[in-house]
This record gives sequence, C-alpha cells and structure tokens, in this order.
Amino acid sequence: MGSAEEDYNFVFKVVLIGESGVGKTNLLSRFTRNEFNHDSRTTIGVEFSTRTILVGDAVVKAQIWDTAGQERYRAITSAYYRGAVGALVVFDITKHQTYDVVDRWLKELYDHAEASIVVMLVGNKTDLAQAREVPMEEAKMFADNNGLLFIETSALDSNNVEEAFETILKEIFHKVQKQKQRSSQSNTVSLAGENPSSTAPAQVERRPCCVAL
Amino acid sequence: PPAPLGFTDVNLNSRNTYEVSRRRSAPEHLPHGGTGTAPAEPAPPPQEAAEKARHRLGIAGAGSSFAEFFTRNFFTKRTKELKPAVQSAPGWKLFGKVPPRENLPKDSKIIQQEYEARTGRMYKPPPSSARRKNIEFEPLSTTALILEDRPANLPAKSVEEALRHRQEYDEMVAEAKKREIKEAHKRKKIMRERFKQEENIASAMVIWVNEILPNWEGMRATRRVRELWWQGLPPSVRGKVWSLAVGNELNITPELYEIFLSRAKERWKSFSETGSENDIEDAGASVADREASLELIKLDISRTFPSLYIFQKGGPYHDLLHSVLGAYTCYRPDVGYVQGMSFIAAVLILNLEEADAFIAFANLLNKPCQLAFFRVDHSMMLKYFAAFEVFFEENLPKLFLHFKSYSLTPDIYLIDWIFTLYSKSLPLDLACRVWDVFCRDGEEFLFRTGLGILRLYEDILLQMDFIHIAQFLTKLPEDITSEKLFSCIAAIQMQNSNKKWAQVFASLMKDNKEGDKNHSPAPKT
Repeated sequence: MGSAEEDYNFVFKVVLIGESGVGKTNLLSRFTRNEFNHDSRTTIGVEFSTRTILVGDAVVKAQIWDTAGQERYRAITSAYYRGAVGALVVFDITKHQTYDVVDRWLKELYDHAEASIVVMLVGNKTDLAQAREVPMEEAKMFADNNGLLFIETSALDSNNVEEAFETILKEIFHKVQKQKQRSSQSNTVSLAGENPSSTAPAQVERRPCCVAL
Repeated sequence: PPAPLGFTDVNLNSRNTYEVSRRRSAPEHLPHGGTGTAPAEPAPPPQEAAEKARHRLGIAGAGSSFAEFFTRNFFTKRTKELKPAVQSAPGWKLFGKVPPRENLPKDSKIIQQEYEARTGRMYKPPPSSARRKNIEFEPLSTTALILEDRPANLPAKSVEEALRHRQEYDEMVAEAKKREIKEAHKRKKIMRERFKQEENIASAMVIWVNEILPNWEGMRATRRVRELWWQGLPPSVRGKVWSLAVGNELNITPELYEIFLSRAKERWKSFSETGSENDIEDAGASVADREASLELIKLDISRTFPSLYIFQKGGPYHDLLHSVLGAYTCYRPDVGYVQGMSFIAAVLILNLEEADAFIAFANLLNKPCQLAFFRVDHSMMLKYFAAFEVFFEENLPKLFLHFKSYSLTPDIYLIDWIFTLYSKSLPLDLACRVWDVFCRDGEEFLFRTGLGILRLYEDILLQMDFIHIAQFLTKLPEDITSEKLFSCIAAIQMQNSNKKWAQVFASLMKDNKEGDKNHSPAPKT
C-alpha cells in the first residue's frame, strides 16, 4: 500500500479556491481521507493533500492545494495558482454571495494560472437543499457559458465528491494526452508548453513503462 | 516484500492449542509482564512520525523483521526442543491434548517471569512501537516448559539436561529481575523529574510574584530573569507577564474597549436586521467588506480551536472571542478582521481578562511584523521571508539546499506559523511557551522557532520531496514535545556574520531593488 502511493505516472497540481466557509477543506478531506469535520479549523495560507487514482490505466497523483478563502489573502494565494493544471472554484449553494463572486475568483485564476487550466465550478453543501439560494440551472448555465465543468457536491454526505475530483482529473489527463500527441518528443509535458518543474511538479510523466498493472 | 498484514494471523494461528489454552486459563497473569511497562513507554521517536507522514509507516518493515524473528525464534527453538516429539507423530497430538489446567499453580508465575525475561531480551533494539506490539503476540510457549519433565511417552531428561535447564531458567529469572529493577528505577526517575518540574514551577511562581513583577522594569532585562523566562512562565503569571512585555503603547484603557465593543454591538444589530445579502450589490465596497468581515468573524469563531469546545456557539468563551474581535475591527477599521486573528485572540482570552486580552491583542497586532502580515503587505512579508532564509542557510545549510532544489519557499509554511503565532500549528501548551519567549525576544523569536522546528525534523525532511515537506510542515506531528523543540530552538544561532536579526532585516529593507525576484511567489501586480 505504501508503494502504490508512490508509483504514479502523472502528478497533477489542482488548486481549491472560493470564499471562506464554502467547504473547500472538507471537500478535500472527504476526497483524500474520507473525513468530514463540522468545525474544521480555518485555513491560513495554504494546506496540502494528495490522492492517487487510476485514470484508464494510468496512475494519476492529484496534488491538491487548499487555499485560504479570505479576500485579503488573495495577494498571497494567487501565487499558488502557478503551475496548476486544474482548479475547483467552490461556492456554497446556500449563500448566494459566495456564488456572486465566482467571477472575481475566475479572473484571479486566469490572471495567475496558465490559460489552458481545467476549471470546474463546484456548488457545495447539497445536503442543505432546503436552504438553497443558488438554483442549479443558473450555476450550470453560467458554467456552460464560461467553458467550465460543473458539479454539485456535499462534502458532508459525500455526494458527488469522488465524481468531482475524478471528472476534473480525467479531463486534465485527456488534455495532457492530446498535448503529448502534438508534441511527442518531450518526456515532460505541460499544458502551457513551459517547463512546470519550477514551483512544484505540475504534471510530470514518470516511468511510462510501468503503466500496465 | 512479504505480505505485510498477514503476520499476526500467521502467528496466532500457528500457536498450538496448548499455548492458547494456557493463555486463556491464566489471562490475569499475562498482561502484567507486558503492560506493566506500558505507561513508562516513551513517546514514539520523531522518525516514526515521519514515517507515518511519508505513508511508509514501518508496518512492512516491522512485518518482515517480525517474520524473520518468528522463524528464527519460534520454529527453530521449537524444532530443537521438540525434536523427539516431531519424530513420533503421536507426540504432537498428545502435546496438543495436554490438559491445560494440570500444571497451573506453578505456571502462572513461570509464564510471567519467562515472558518478561524473554521480552526483555527481545526488546533490546525496540525500533518502533509497531514492532513492540507485535512482540506481545510472541508465542509464550515452549521456553516456559524448560523446567517441565517431558510427557511420559517421551524419553526423560538426563540429569545434565535437567541441570542445564535449571541453570537456563535461573538465568532467565535473574534477567527478569534485573529488568524489573531497572524499570522501577526508570519509573522513579520519571516521577522524580515530574516532581522536580512541579516544584520548579511552584518556586518560579514565587519568584515571579514576589520579586520580578513588583520590580518589573528594573528586572525584566536581567540575565537571571531572562533565563527563568526561557524555562517557561508559570501559567498563573503568564497572562500578567505577557501583558507587561507586550506593553500598551496604544494607551488603550478598559473604558475605551467598552466603547468600541458597544459600537461593534450596534453594528451587529443593524447587520442582522438588514441582512447582508440583499443590498450587497448596490452597497459600497467598504460596506460590503465590513459586512463580510462581520460574517467572517462569526464563521471563524467556531473554527478556532474546535477541539477545545469552548469557542464554539454555546461554549463559554464564544461571546468573549466575538467581542474582542468585533471591538478590534471597530478600533482598527484600517486593518479589519483577518483570518488567523481569531487564534491569537483566543490564546489571549485563555490567559487574560477580557479587557486586558483586548489591550494585549491590539498592541500585539501593532508590532511591525504583525502589522505587515495582517495588512498582507506583500513586499514587507517577502523581506521577512528573505531574512528568515538568511538564517535558514546559516543554521541548516543542507536542508536549505534541499528546499531550494524543490523551489520550496518559506511562505508555504511560514504564513500559517507567523499569522497565528504558532497557536494553530503547535500543541497549545507548547505554543504558549513559544509566546513566552516571543514576548521576551520579539519577532526574531518567531523566526527562530521556525528554524527550531526545521532543525527538529531536519533528518526526516531531508528524505522528503516537495509535496511531502509541504504537507508535513503545514500539519506538524502532534507529539512534538517542548523539551525537544526548545533544545532545537536554543541551538539556532540568530547571528549571521556578526549581524543580528534586526540588522539583517534592516539591510534587506534598505536593499529595495532586491527582494521579490525568486525567493517567494511574485506579488500581485
């Protein structure tokens, strides 16, 4: 089990962004440790988690950067978007305000990340359906119009959490594969075509011979 | 590698029925040997924690070494001792059928002593608690039989053999006794130390109350007081000393606090009456920000030390924390509420009365380093990180290069540490000890503590890659002890080619061109 964790073909850096209290940390802990905390501690700066999943027959390690949500912190956290190949922009379906500012989060993201980054809009807290303030259709339409993936989740009851991460990781994987076919001579691939090894390994292909299980 | 999880099963299943029934028939005797030592068991070494963090907890290692031990000690001994029995098949069967209670009166003691002797021997290198646990499953077994006569259908022991067994047995008992005495000494020593510690705290308290506090200004900088201070402040004077050390440059009075508190309360009232969401779009940005910060305080209070259950809604300190933070946003609208503040206010509330906590809070946040961070003055923060790196390289050059090779910048871990003054990342009692010396030495000690943590875990960190280091440092092991951490902090020299922290920082400040090139993430443009 220890070694399976380390045998991967790809590392994908994914950032979790969105307003404070929308449930970013819990989405992550649900996905990586199957845990949920009603009062998880405020995230200051950035926290990290990883999980390795199978996409087709490739082993993909998701390296997830969970960032602080407060506006004030954006000056710091936006630097962490660099090298990310995926982003989950999370809002709380019971707080319209957290959805209203998605635009600003996207702008922030595109200002600092590579343009080809795969972005998914995530409406969290579907377990609180009776308090819903953001209609699903509205968010879905917004996502479609802006070329974002879209899903609604509940970190509390686990609904769609796995699907959210799997979907975005698959999408990134396919994008990387296409990119690789186009420029097939390099061993290191990057969505933006630049070397991603600087801040962190973004998506590095390792030991391609070990893919078969 | 051998199947890591199978070994306990193998072990249990292969214990013969005789042993199992023996074990069952005298269960009250068995644990003594094993658990008697448990309370004195030292905390697992840091390497183990690191192994956990690396997802490589020695389970596979322990498994394989145990398997090795297993075959070595169990099977070899067995085949040696039971050779005659193995030769005749009935011997095995009969052996399994021996009525368990037959020899009981004598057994219980023998088993215990034998067990202790044996585990004593096996413990010699206790590499990890995982392994130790496994050893408790060790076949109790055949060694205890050494004094027994063989079953009637087997050839009897010769006189020499019986003598030899007697001798071996005596040796085992002697060894067990020796071990017991040693354990007792160890326990006594720990008790003595604990007692001494308590005495120290008590006598330190007397010194603080009777000598130092009445002559604060005259004594605070003396060598004796500084040394006593380093040992940790007695909890009963901690708040008082913090207050005095932080000072009150801002001249805030309890009355002033009440004024800002009532202003905050008015705001909450109008806030809850109008509701926040309806008019957010037409409201000015500053109003929206203010409302957001009120919302945020509410949100964060229950996320501050959630495990203590005292700041959450309905908890005894919930309203207090709300008040202090709310009053602060009215007192310093230019700073407002920034995440991380709730942890600082909470620690102060735990040690001071409400108004004093507010006064200390406002003055603490007014220190240059805290002001730079809570205003998220990025270029200033980068200066602090750069100064930190100067001392990082000086003190831990190997680790410094290791981090560099992964482009792992200090902001990744320092932001959380500095914003909350370690109260989120270290156990609370340890964080308070860091605060003690922070109050004595100022901002420099925050960065020195950071280097102390890096030094404490240097060996582990050197084995890790980017993501594991980042994960490790943003979620430190919970078993970190004050002795270890403070000895590591003490070993950190805050001296760089004769320049102290303040000088290094000042020269970085002068050097305005340099700074945000590649040390840390680029500032927002």
